[in-house]
Amino acid sequence: MSGLEHVLLALQALRANWLRGLLTALGIIIGVASLVALTAISAGAQEGVASDLRRLGPNIILLDGEFVTLPNGQMTATDRTLTRGDLAAVAQLPAVTAVGRRQLVEMTVSSGRRQTTTILTGIDETFQRMHNYAAAQGRLLTAADDREGREVIVLGSKPAQRMFKGAPAVGRTVRILSREFTVIGVYSTKGNLGPDDLDNQALVPITVAKRVLFGGEAIQGADVQVRTQAQVVPTMDEIDALMAERHKITSGSGEDFSTEDQTQIITAAAAATSTFKTLTLALGAIALVVGGIGIMNIMLVSVTERTREIGIRKALGAEPSRIQAQFLVEALALCVGGGLAGVGIGLVAARMVAKLAGWPTLISPPSLIIAFVSSVVVGLFFGYYPARRAARLPPAVAMRYD
Amino acid sequence: MDGPVIETTAVHMRYASGEMSVEALRGIDFVVAAGEFVAIMGPSGSGKSTLLSILGCLERPTAGSYRIADEEVSAFDERKAARVRRERIGFVFQSFNLLLRSTAAQNVELPLFYAGVGREERRERTRAALEAVGLGDRVDHLPRQLSGGQQQRVAVARAIVTRPDVVLADEPTGNLDSHSQDEILELLGDVHAQGATIVMVTHSREVAEHGTRIVHVLDGLIDADEAVARVAW
Repeated sequence: MSGLEHVLLALQALRANWLRGLLTALGIIIGVASLVALTAISAGAQEGVASDLRRLGPNIILLDGEFVTLPNGQMTATDRTLTRGDLAAVAQLPAVTAVGRRQLVEMTVSSGRRQTTTILTGIDETFQRMHNYAAAQGRLLTAADDREGREVIVLGSKPAQRMFKGAPAVGRTVRILSREFTVIGVYSTKGNLGPDDLDNQALVPITVAKRVLFGGEAIQGADVQVRTQAQVVPTMDEIDALMAERHKITSGSGEDFSTEDQTQIITAAAAATSTFKTLTLALGAIALVVGGIGIMNIMLVSVTERTREIGIRKALGAEPSRIQAQFLVEALALCVGGGLAGVGIGLVAARMVAKLAGWPTLISPPSLIIAFVSSVVVGLFFGYYPARRAARLPPAVAMRYD
Repeated sequence: MDGPVIETTAVHMRYASGEMSVEALRGIDFVVAAGEFVAIMGPSGSGKSTLLSILGCLERPTAGSYRIADEEVSAFDERKAARVRRERIGFVFQSFNLLLRSTAAQNVELPLFYAGVGREERRERTRAALEAVGLGDRVDHLPRQLSGGQQQRVAVARAIVTRPDVVLADEPTGNLDSHSQDEILELLGDVHAQGATIVMVTHSREVAEHGTRIVHVLDGLIDADEAVARVAW
């Protein structure tokens, strides 16, 4: 008997009871479908983290001045403690390749009658380069803008859209606290960093910002870039030590600065969703196992129902291995059918999630193969015992069974 | 093959269930030569069905020797027994024992299928066997579309399709009306006339007399062995 005939034999038995077969395979279908959909979502989220890192710039330490709690409960860094001298000293550390200054505050920006609230961000050219800013319209800030104190501004896509409604922004002027800034560019969209919307920003040269908007000598914060990711944590420790020494902080008194790993912020944001996905992935695996148990149950029922048939087949000379193969192929056919249907439904579900929830999904062929193979493994595993039981039925007893 | 088709020596069969133990066969010496048509008679509980089970390699005797076509099979495991069944034995049962979801042809084909006979030869031999039992026009019928007599004809076709050394029939007419009974006995007579060796279990003297020899089993032993007089025929 060829393999094909085995399969045909199994399909013949399944066709005779197709509704039961479908219900039996449902567990496998749901299990595989959720595995496929969830791996697509999870892979999409991982791909999101990787692209976040590329987009926001790699190997960056966020150095901030003293944090205070605002009356509304939010934490914010102040511009009282971090001095130019501090930043110069940090820049001297061996692993540090760049130090970009920044200071930001929520402000109202207006153009004519249209006004919008955005994060006004004073930066230098180094900061802009470190974070991979790119111009979508016009140009970005330059070192000359900063040096010569030009009152120019580069808008994020959101304030630009809100003020100019798609009309060209470059060359227009916007008003901030009764001062006028010339729009020289709009930067390409950057997405989110943790909870912060990086497209709702307006960039001005830090020197200008300090002079006309913020005042004061100290700066709110700086982003420190090191060569490799491996240097991030040790360098953070070095900065902490250096700053503690410069600010004469002894253990016990509170620090008036803070350091943070940008990569951690990104991965922490992803970790929340990833925990959720691990959980649902586990649920998918459980569904697969439960589906497998369902198949085993039905196969055992089937073996009992067909005891007489098994006896007849054995009397006609079927070896135990033939009987075992017949029932195993039947269980496999259920699982393979369920697996294929599950892959199909999972793909549709992933696409719907991408469309309705707006989550990025990434369908990788290996994940489909893994989902399918695991359904086959489930079929073999849970089909084995009933098939063996069928194969071991003594023919004389089986023939007498009613 | 020079020896007898079937030869049992001191075959015992003991069934144990819990502390109870029943000795169904207590030393059966039984020989069937090629071309015989032997009827085994006996009251229920005499052990005749157990004997047929052992002759068919469906059960192993607890003691004694069983040779079929010079091959000692009494100690064969299930795999080897399956081989003996499909190569040497054809079965006809009281309750037909056809696969209900398979057509007449599929039922007849089954032993060839397990014997690894190729598709074309299988189809050819199946058709020939069904024609031999007069069902050449019923090949694609399901068992439920056939009468009892026709179903048993299919079973006979299935038993002879492998050209076995011996056909074992267990009350082959027990579930049939008298008309169908005559048909099936006539058919077995034809099969025998064409050279088949047949061993048939029955409780009916009338049925048994269609054979060439009647063996009486009582309390697990062979009680009498008589040749059937052919004068009346």
